[in-house]
This record gives sequence, C-alpha cells and structure tokens, in this order.
Amino acid sequence: MAATEQTGSRSSTERTGPGRLLYDATVRAIFLQALTAALVVGLFAWLIYNTMVNLQERNLSAGFGFLDVSAGFGISFTLIPYEEGDTYLRVFFVGIANTLLVAAVSIALATIIGLFVGLARLSDNWIVAKLSRAYIELLRNTPLLLQIIAWFFGVFNLLPRPRDSVVMAEAFVLNNRGFYMPAPVPELGFGYVMAAFVVALLGAIALYRWEDARRDRTGKSFPAISTGLAMIVLVPLVVHLALGRPLSWDPPVLQGFNFVGGVSVPPAFCALIVALSAYTSAFIAEIVRSGIQSVSKGQLEAAGALNLPPTWTLRRVILPQALRVIIPPLISQYLNITKNSSLAIAIGFPDLVSVWMNTSLNQSGRAIPIVAMTMAFYCLVSLTVSLVMNSYNRRVQIKER
Amino acid sequence: MALVFESKPDRPPPRDETGLAVWVRRNLFRDVPNALMTLLGFYIAYVVVAAVLDWAIFNAVWEADTRRECLDAVGRSGACWPGVVEWLPNLVYGLYPKDAVWRINLGFLALVLWLIPLWMPRVKSKVAVGLTAVTLYPFLASYFFLGGDKGIVWSALISLGLSGLVWVWATTISERVTGQSIAELLGKTLAGGDNDVLQRRAVRGAGLVLFLAAYGLVSTWSLAEVRTQFWGGLFLTLVISGIGITFSLPAGILLALGRRSNLPVIAVLSTLFIELFRSVPLITILFMFNTMLPLFMPEGMEVNQLARAIVAVCLFAAAYMAEVIRGGLQAIPKGQYEAAASLGLGYWQTTTQVVLPQALKIMIPTIVGNFIGLFKDTTLVSIIGLFDLMNMARAVGEDTDWLGLFIEPFFVVSLTYFVFCFAMSSYSIRLEEKLSAGRER
Amino acid sequence: MSRVEGARKAIEIVKLNKWFGQFHVLKDIDLTVREREIYVICGPSGSGKSTLIRCINQLEHHQEGDILVDGVLVEKGGKNQETIRRTTGMVFQQFNLFPHLTVLENCTLTPTLGLGMPRAEAEELAMFHLKRVGIEDQALKYPLQLSGGQQQRVAIARSLCTRPKIMLFDEPTSALDPEMIKEVLDVMVELADSGMTMICVTHEMGFARQVADKILFMDQGEIVESGPPGEFFLNPRYDRTEQFLSHIL
Repeated sequence: MAATEQTGSRSSTERTGPGRLLYDATVRAIFLQALTAALVVGLFAWLIYNTMVNLQERNLSAGFGFLDVSAGFGISFTLIPYEEGDTYLRVFFVGIANTLLVAAVSIALATIIGLFVGLARLSDNWIVAKLSRAYIELLRNTPLLLQIIAWFFGVFNLLPRPRDSVVMAEAFVLNNRGFYMPAPVPELGFGYVMAAFVVALLGAIALYRWEDARRDRTGKSFPAISTGLAMIVLVPLVVHLALGRPLSWDPPVLQGFNFVGGVSVPPAFCALIVALSAYTSAFIAEIVRSGIQSVSKGQLEAAGALNLPPTWTLRRVILPQALRVIIPPLISQYLNITKNSSLAIAIGFPDLVSVWMNTSLNQSGRAIPIVAMTMAFYCLVSLTVSLVMNSYNRRVQIKER
Repeated sequence: MALVFESKPDRPPPRDETGLAVWVRRNLFRDVPNALMTLLGFYIAYVVVAAVLDWAIFNAVWEADTRRECLDAVGRSGACWPGVVEWLPNLVYGLYPKDAVWRINLGFLALVLWLIPLWMPRVKSKVAVGLTAVTLYPFLASYFFLGGDKGIVWSALISLGLSGLVWVWATTISERVTGQSIAELLGKTLAGGDNDVLQRRAVRGAGLVLFLAAYGLVSTWSLAEVRTQFWGGLFLTLVISGIGITFSLPAGILLALGRRSNLPVIAVLSTLFIELFRSVPLITILFMFNTMLPLFMPEGMEVNQLARAIVAVCLFAAAYMAEVIRGGLQAIPKGQYEAAASLGLGYWQTTTQVVLPQALKIMIPTIVGNFIGLFKDTTLVSIIGLFDLMNMARAVGEDTDWLGLFIEPFFVVSLTYFVFCFAMSSYSIRLEEKLSAGRER
Repeated sequence: MSRVEGARKAIEIVKLNKWFGQFHVLKDIDLTVREREIYVICGPSGSGKSTLIRCINQLEHHQEGDILVDGVLVEKGGKNQETIRRTTGMVFQQFNLFPHLTVLENCTLTPTLGLGMPRAEAEELAMFHLKRVGIEDQALKYPLQLSGGQQQRVAIARSLCTRPKIMLFDEPTSALDPEMIKEVLDVMVELADSGMTMICVTHEMGFARQVADKILFMDQGEIVESGPPGEFFLNPRYDRTEQFLSHIL
C-alpha cells in the first residue's frame, strides 16, 4: 500500500516551477482540443476554398436549384410513376423507392432462408447440419458484388429468349428480359374479401387475447394460434368463393417478341434480390444459431425438470431469451441489406446510387448537392434504425442489480 | 482397521451404444422424418457435387482457341477453361508489363520473407518484426511495384525498407542460434564486456553501416515506372486490401480512443466521423472520392484514381475498425483502469500498456472478421473502373475470342476469394478457441 | 431402526450403469429411498453423484439397470420422462432461474401452463411457497436483482410449486458465498422436517448430521459406503471415506 501511495504522490499535478502549466491536465486538455478543432476547421476551410475555386473554374454552382429542372433521361424500372420529362427531384424519389423495394423484398427472403438454414445448422441430423454449414461458409466467404454479378451474367442474362421462356404453372415466366407473374385484377366486390381478411385478422388477435385471459381465469388452454391462422385463411376464402371470385388474374402472354400483361421485373432486379437475400441469409443463419445457442443448457434443464410442456418451453423460455440476442444483429443485417442494395449499380438496376449519384450526377454535374442528398438519405435510414434498436434494447434489457 | 476401497474395473458400454452403426442410427436415421431428411440431404449433396464435377472436370474443354469451339464441342454442359488459362496472367497481374511481372513476385516474396519469422518458434522479437513489416515493408514494395524516378527521400525510405528486411532475418537467425537478439549479439562482440554505452554505440554504428550499404545498393537500382493504370487483377486486390488493413488498425484505434475520450471536441469529431462513414454504403464513399476529390484539391493537383479508391477504402475501414476496437475497450473491466491509476500511470501509459493490449486480444476474432469484410469489399473498386480481380474476371467475357465466357472466370475468382477468406476465418476461429481456453483457466 | 420403517419406496434403483461415450460414470448402483427419507450424497468431484440424481429425473438417460420413481419404472431413452418429472422437483447448483421473468412468473410458469391452474390460484400457491422460503416481498423483482442465496430460495420455491413428492438437490450451496449458505440450508431443513423425501448432493456435513437419514459416499462411479450419519462420521468403514472426510471436515 505504502508503495502505491508513494508512486501516486509523484503524479504530474504536484510539480512546481515553470513546467507546471505544461503538465496541468486541464490546460493540456484545452490545448489538445483547440489544436484538433483548429486542424479540422483548417482542413475544411482549405477544402471548401479549393472547391469554390474549382466550381467557379468549371462554371458550376453548388445550389439545389437544379432539382426543379427536367432530368430528361429514362429509367428502366420504376416503382413510382416516372416519365422522361420529370424533374431531378422526382428521379431522387424514384431511386429511393427502388432502393427500398429491393431492400424490403431481400429482407423478407433473407429472413426466411436465414431462419431455416440457422435451424438446420443446429439439427441433430449430421448431413443436414453439414449442408447448411457448407451453404453458410460458401456464401459468407465470397464477395457480395461477385455474387450479384455472377447471378446476373451467369444466370439471369443467360436465360432463354422470350420465345423459349421457362414457364411455370402457365403463370410465372422467366426469360432473359426478366421475371413475369400474373397481376391481380380486383373486381367489384373484392373490397368485401379484403374486409373479411381484416375482420378475420382482428378476430384472430381477439381470439388470442381471449384465450390468454381465459387460461388465466380457468387454467384451461385452447389452440388459439392454429385456430386463428385457420380463420385468417378460411374466412376471406369463403367470402371470396361466395361472391363468385371477384379477383381475376392478368397473366403474362407472349405477344410478338415479348411478354405483355402481368407484373414484370427486369433480370437485374432478380439477380440483385437472389444474391442479396442468399448472401445475407448466411449471416442471418449464423445470428439465429448463436442466438439459440446463447440460451444456456441450464435453462432448458430447468424447464425440463419443472415439466414445462415443450411448446411453452419454446414460447416462454427459449424464444424470449434467444430473440433478445438475435434481434439487434438481425436489424443491423437489415441495415446492411439496404446499404448493399447500392451494388445494384454494377448490373444496371436503377437504385438510388445508380440513378442519382451516377446518372444524375454525370448529367447535371452538381456533385456536391447530389452527394449530400444521397448521404443524407442513408444517414437518415441508419439513424432511424439505431433509434429503433436503442429503444428495443432498453425495453428487453434483463434487469440486474 | 479401515477396509481398502477398490473400484470396480470400467466396463465398455453395451454394444448397441457405440460403433459406426449406432452413430449412423443416432445422427442420420433416428426416426422416419429424420431418415427422409437424411436421404434428401445426401441427394442434394450428390446432385450439387456431381453437377459441379461434371461441369468443371468431366465435361470440360481444355483446349480451344475461342469460346465458339468450346460451345461446338460440349455446348454449355462443360466448362471452357482455355479462356481462363489464356487470361490467367491478367487475372493475377492485371495489365502489368509482362517483362516486369518479376517485380510483383519479388515484392510479395519480400513480404513472405518478412512474415515467416512470425511463425517460427524461439523468435522473441515477433512484435518488432510485425511492426517493421507494417511500417517499413510498404516503402520497399512501393518501389518494386511502382518504379520510376526515386529522388533522395524516397531512396532513403526504400533503403530503410531494405535494411528492415536484413535486420529481420539477422535477428531471426541470431535468436534461433544464440538466443540473443542481433543487437545484443553485435553489441557484445563489437564492444565486448558489459559497457552499455559502448554497446549501444556499436549497435547504432552497425545500423548506420547497414543503412548506408542499403542506400548504396538501392541507388544502383533503376526500375522503369509502371503507372497504376496498368495495375490490376489479384495484385491490385491485394495492394488495396493490404493498405486498407494496415491503415485501418492504427486509425481505428485512434478513432476509438477519440470517441471514448473525456475531451468533448475530440469525442464529438470522432463520433461524427465514425457514424457518417458507417451509415453510408462504401460505394457512395468511393463515388464521392472519385468525383469530389478533384474538386477538393487545389488547381493542378492530380490525384490518380487508384489513390482516390485507396483513400476511400482506408477511411471506410478505419470507421468500422474503430467500432470493433471500441467494443474491446468497453469489455475491459473498470478495475483495470483503477489498478493502472493506483500505479500512477498516466492516460497514454494506461492505454498503451494496460488497456489496448487486452482489448485487441479479446477482439482478435472480430478484427480478423473485419479484415475479411474489407478484403471482400475491395471488389467495389471495380465499379469506379479499376480492374481488380473481379473486374478482370468480367473482362474475360468481353474479350472477342471468349465473348460471353462469364461463369468460368467467376468460378475461379470465387474459389480464390473463398480460399483466402475461409483460411482467415478458420484461423481466427482457432485463435478464438485458444484465447477462450486461456480465459477459462 | 429407521424412522421410516415400512414406508413405501419412493425411489428404487437396481444395478444402474451409465456411460458418457466410452467413459463408465456409474457402476452397478443400487439404492432404495423410502418416502420421507432424507439422503445426502457426497464424494469427490467426478465421482458421478450429480449424474446419479440427474438419472432419476431423466436429465440424463442411463443404459443399464432399472430406476423406479414412485413405483413407476423409468423407460430407457426418456420415453416417460414427463410422468417421472411430475413427481420430482430439482434444484440446481447454478439456480437456473429464468432471468427474463419475475420471481412470481418463474413460480407460476409450470402451474399455469403445465398443470392447467388458473392464474389466481397459481399465484396464491407461489406466494405460499415464496413465504415459506422467506422472500414473498421480492416476488415482483427479477432474479438477477436478488442475491445468490435469495435466488436459490426462489428456485426451491419454484420447484415446490409443481407439487413434487421427491426433491432432488444438486449441490445447491456450492455456488454461494459462505454467508448465504445458511439461509438456503435453513429452508432445506424446514423442508426435511415437513416430511419431504429428499436426495441432496452436498458437502454440507453439518446439514447432513442434522437431518440426513443416510449418507452415501461415492467415488469413481460407485457407492463406496452408506449409513446413518452417526456411524458414517464416527466409524467410516473404508480408507477412501476416511480420507475424504478428513479433507472436508
């Protein structure tokens, strides 16, 4: 103890004499911060000065005025309506919509595949576990961009011409122009079917709550989940049939050299979706696996020793604890999908980066506002996601001393 | 007198509890659904493996001059390897002049030589060897790869790199043979006895002689300049990821310390930098540097495209690395800081000698994971027009002789990436197991 | 003789053998525990004592021999483990409370979802047992907000809420700080006095002396010797037992 105190008393703050100021922690802190701030401000000032000079040189302005100007180029695939004469601002939103579409579809697919593969990885069955391990390792250890390009050039671009299309169930068509599926055409009375669906959904939720309350009251249980699911499917179906099927389908039909009708997406979209969801599913599978493995063996043994029925062990012991571990990295994978969808540019799918940061930037030359707007979009998405995640983490945090 | 307890001899488990048959029954055919899954699993594995082998080997064409010939011979049922073979030099070295390719090989040979001692037992100066590989090797390699007019400063740096390599092997041999570092050995033999001052002077003198000799040697070298436009293939991929990896670790450490700093200005700036670079896709950063760096620079100052890409990759990697390291720093228990403070250590002493070594050690697996991510991410430079390994593979299918030959080069390139990444990740898993075993004890 | 002479057999184990892979953990174990009897099992680590009681409620499956729990033969491979576990309760060394549920929810989980008890009744039962172990005022806290001793008492209450006939204790005090051991042992003594059939793997010899009907000493997968505490402590028959006792007493 004495030795420590002795060393402690030699600390710098107790020095005297002219050197004292230099060693004073507060003075040093202020000095260091002022220096850093000055350096950063100086760097930015220099960059801004150079940029101003360069912009003047090239007769460019840094303002946002160009947003109202007609962009004058076409976009091969748009989720929201767009025509060649529309403004740059419209192009920005078209890009955002396409990016979000790719992200949403890939997130859904990646989650389903990832959950499946992650559970398979934990299977007692040797070959099932090994196959899912191989799937995960192969996809995780090759670059995503390579996968996207390989799917595009190696698969979707090599599909047969429209005349020799791959047709599934006479409704789904795959060829080198893209993927076609029937478009739903609602007719008079379809609103009732939708209403029935909503009613069934609400009914199922009510049933679930009622079951919970009844079990609390009487101790008797009732298969509310399966009944509810059956309701959600059957009720709209019955209404649909009773009203004489007020929904028809507009299938894609070969006309001349191409298919018309139905809904279609270009090959680049298919390649992007397949590659993004396959790649991310490998990461999600590992997240699911480690989440489930994070529930300690002791928890399962305790549930077993208490004779808690297996379905309830899953619903009340394993899932709540596993999800706590799974959800934060899962959400950050969703964010990664959104960011990675920007690789669309490599195969010419018009996402935000492709139509905005590339085509619009090259056409208008307004590098600064365009880069700033793109970055702002991605920052906004990240910020939203991290806010959601923080509130989730706060909510599920295990209470400790 | 107490009885002596003699335990019964162990019996082997009942026959139906062990052996291959039992293993198969337990792990493959426990019940009917399980058996069906097993059959399906083996079927899938068989189909995939058979299809790949048929395509890549049994049906493949090994000799042809154009893709047409391949298609005429086997259609699409087999791979057309001659195209890949013809392009192999480009896939590895890019458009680097054929007669100068030896410089790339020599550069990587130097790296291998530099790193070998790290895996050798009885070498004590591993940290110093590693540090010199990171700090001095790049000077040596830069000249091999780039060549051209050296100038005095660059010559000195190259000589420093060369002396570093000589020192690495001198000290390795000395430590393996005598158990002493080369400095100790030289000091003792040149100055004799145990006069510390004289010994130190002798070592410094020897170092100077080494440097001057290296400088003399380097000044006789004159390699023709190979401009970065001609760099490509695996070579370019390794250069970009190598620089990114080397830069990201120290920069990430500084940013992570900055973010955790008590000084508000530094904490805010670090946080802003990290969050900005982490929330946007790498491709937007590459685009930004590609289009905006020329605007940012004073007139007449040209930054070549490779440099722009490298700057973007480095900053991006640093931001990600910072978060990894911050995770490691957060895992260090408060007691460690308190113990360091009670010993009277200041901020930098505490950080460099107590906290960082522990934080880096526990984060090694994640750091390696980040390196793998960075290595894969370098493919993105192809989008701004650099011909890295992947872009070079795509170029094969655009060659008139091999028009449409995409799958084969992509297959080879994927395999290359897989081997690199899988090796790194297996290594980090082994390391993780070793480290966690150490923690449990 | 024994205070439970002629009572029904709660647990009967005949020629039990168990292997972990090639390793022979339990060798020819014979054991009969009658209702209301208190058994204490001690022995060095790795002697198979935990495995033995885990075989009783089928957390481990044995390969040879028979186990009867409350008159029911345990089927190999855990086929009737639900029936067996209905009569047994277990307390673990590491408590194994569910950290995301409150103390009360931990206790009502099986009564409501497994035994079909209305929530009000389950909560009443839980509060009764929580009161019994002396932590009814912590019912709405989460397990990790409690001390180790309190957590273990919750675990005992949670197990009692499933109304077991036989309680198995797997080193219940080994993970506790010394000052918390007593509060857990007090609860166990109270439980023993109330007539519960108990098998306790523990090294708390004071507890054994106070309540045990019989003490079992195990080594290398075998029961070396067993006997009432007086005899066991004063005149161990085997050298191995003597040696072990000299280490822990």
